[in-house]
Amino acid sequence: MLKIENLHVEVDGKPILRGIDLEIDAGEVHAIMGPNGSGKSTLAYVLAGRDGYEVTEGRVLYKGHDLIELAPEARAAEGVFLGFQYPVAIPGVSNIYFLKAALNAIRKHRGQDPLDAIDFMKLSKEKAALVQLPDDLTKRSVNDGFSGGEKKRNEIFQMAMLEPSLAVLDETDSGLDIDALKVVAEGVNALRGPERAMLVITHYQRLLDHIVPDVVHVLIDGRIVRTGNKDLAKQLEADGYAQVRDGMRP
Amino acid sequence: MTDAVPGLLTSLPEAFDEGPAWLRALRERAAGSLRDQGLPTKKTEAWRFTPVRTLVDGAFNRGDDGLPRVTSPLPDGVTVRSLRDVLADDPALLENRLGRTPVDHFGALNTSLFTDGLWIHVAANVDVGSVIELDHAAVGPAPSSPTVQYPRVLVTLESGSEATLIETYKGELSGSLTNGVMEVELGPNASLHHVRIHEQSGLQVGYVDVRQDRDSRYHSVVATLGGALLRFDVRVHLEAPGAQCQLDGAYFVDGSDHVDHHTLVEHEAPHCHSAQTYRGIASGRGTAVFDGIVVVHRDAQKTEAHQENRNLLLSETATVHTKPHLEIDADDVVCSHGATVGSLDHDQLFYLRARGIPEDLARAMLTYAFIEAVVDRVADPATRERLREAVLARIPEGEAIRGVT
Repeated sequence: MLKIENLHVEVDGKPILRGIDLEIDAGEVHAIMGPNGSGKSTLAYVLAGRDGYEVTEGRVLYKGHDLIELAPEARAAEGVFLGFQYPVAIPGVSNIYFLKAALNAIRKHRGQDPLDAIDFMKLSKEKAALVQLPDDLTKRSVNDGFSGGEKKRNEIFQMAMLEPSLAVLDETDSGLDIDALKVVAEGVNALRGPERAMLVITHYQRLLDHIVPDVVHVLIDGRIVRTGNKDLAKQLEADGYAQVRDGMRP
Repeated sequence: MTDAVPGLLTSLPEAFDEGPAWLRALRERAAGSLRDQGLPTKKTEAWRFTPVRTLVDGAFNRGDDGLPRVTSPLPDGVTVRSLRDVLADDPALLENRLGRTPVDHFGALNTSLFTDGLWIHVAANVDVGSVIELDHAAVGPAPSSPTVQYPRVLVTLESGSEATLIETYKGELSGSLTNGVMEVELGPNASLHHVRIHEQSGLQVGYVDVRQDRDSRYHSVVATLGGALLRFDVRVHLEAPGAQCQLDGAYFVDGSDHVDHHTLVEHEAPHCHSAQTYRGIASGRGTAVFDGIVVVHRDAQKTEAHQENRNLLLSETATVHTKPHLEIDADDVVCSHGATVGSLDHDQLFYLRARGIPEDLARAMLTYAFIEAVVDRVADPATRERLREAVLARIPEGEAIRGVT
C-alpha cells in the first residue's frame, strides 16, 4: 500500500526527515512514536501534500505510484486521509456541507455519481454514531467552537465518511482525556480492515493500548531508529526516548 | 433635456420658484451650502480614497429622475405616492418630513434638484407581513450620452409599525450618474428591515438618512457587488432612548471596481444600541473603502455601540482602505470597533484540499463563507436566496458552490 524509500525532507531549507524507510501493507496498522521535534508531523504532512515541505531525496510510492507529485486533493481522491493533529476551524462552512463537497469530489474522481441528499444524510447519521458525534455538531461550522475531543471525533467521523485506503492519524490522542480517547480509538478500530492501512502517529504509548498496532517504529531526529512489535511501545514507556536515543550511539 | 455642461454644480439654478415656500427655502439652503463650499475634492477627508473628480467634473445630461417601481403588491396600511403629487396636493404633509436632516455635498445637490420621488408610508401599528420591493433598474433604451439622475425616496413608519423594504439596483448605466437620497423616519417602536442589493455597474452616490424615535429598530443590509464608482453613506440618528440600529454590509470588487461605504451613527440619546458588521472581498485591481464613525453624544449614557469591518484580499493588486472610529463624549458606555484585512487562510485551504475538495472549489467555499455571515442576516428567505445568488454570480468559482448545495 505505502512504500517510503530513503525519504529526505526539508522545511525552509532545514533538514527534518533524514532518510526514512517504511513499508505498510493493506490490513496493517503501524505506529510511529517519537519525541517532540523528531519529524512525526512532518512525515504526516508530506504524505498529505502540504505546501512548504520539500522532498530532497528518496520517494514515496502509494499503490505503486509516485505520491509526491499529486496535489493534496488528488491524494485524498486516491484514498489518502490525514487525521490532523490540530483540526482547522472554518467559520461559515458547515461540517455537513464540507463533507458533502469532499465526498462527492472523491466520488467524481472515482467515476461515481454524487450521493443525493437523502443517501448522504443516512450515511452521515450512521457514521456519526460510530464516534458518538452529536447531530448538531455535524451542522455547525467545521470545528468552530468544538472542544478538543469533539475535533478529534470529527476527524474520525470524516475518515469514516470518506473510507480511505491509507489513513495517517497525527497525534489523534493528544489532548484527550481517557473517555474521549476510548471513543476515538473505538471509532478507529471499527474502521480497521483487510483493505485499509493505517499509520498512527503518537507521542504517548497510552493510545496503543486502545489501537493495538502490528508494527511500532521509533522516530528520532528524522530517522527511524527502532522497529518492533507492540511491546516496543511498552519498553519506550518504561525506559523513555533517551534510552533509545542513547542506545543508538556507538 | 438640456445640453451637457461640464461640472455638476453648473446645473444649480439662480433661484427656486416652484413648490411650497418651505421647499423653496430648503432647496435654497442646500444650494447655498453648495455655492459656498462646493462639491468635495480629493482633499475632502470623507472622499480621500475615492476619485470624486470623476463625478464632479463629469459632463452629464440631466436624465429623467424617474420613479423606482414598486414591484410587490401593497398590503393595507401601506401607501406609496409620488412626491410630485403630494407636493401639488398636500404639501403640508411633507413639510416636517422631507429634508429634515441636512445632508451635505451630493445630498444637498439632490435636495436642490430632485423633481420627483416616492413617499412610502406605513400607518401606525401596521405589521406589513409581506416584503415591499423597490426596483431601481432603468427602463427603456439606454441614453445615448451619460445622464445624471436625482432619485428621492421618503420612507415613513408610523408608531408601532413593522416593514421589510427590499431595493434592487441593476442595469447597464455605464457612464451615467445616479445621485440618490433616501430619508427614513421611524416612529416610536417602529421596525424597518431594509435590504439593498446593488448590481449596477455605473456611477452612483447614495445617501440613506435615518431618524429613529424611541424604541425603534432599523436593520440595514447593503450588498454592493461591484461597480465603476459607487459611494454609499448611511447616517443614523438615534434620537430617543431605546432606539436600536444594526448596519450590515457585504461588498465585492473586481476588475477596476471602486466601492466606498461610509457609515455614521449618532447616539444622541441614552440607552441606544448600534452594531455594524461590514465584510468585503477585493479582487483584481478593485478598490474598497470602508469608513465608519460612531459618535456618542454627551448625554447618551448607557450607549452600546459595536463596529466591525473585515476584508479579504484575493489579489496583490486589489486595495482596501478601512477606518472604523469612535468619538465618545459620554462616560458610561460600552463600545468596540475593529478592522482586519487578510488573505485566504492557508491552513483552511489545505484542510479542505486534504479532504479531496479541488483547490478552486475550496477557494470559492472560503471566499463565500467570508461574507455569508452578512447574507445570513437577511431575514426574508426569498430575499436571502436572491442575495446569495447575486453574490455567487460575482465571486470567483461561485458557480461551483451551487453544485454542492
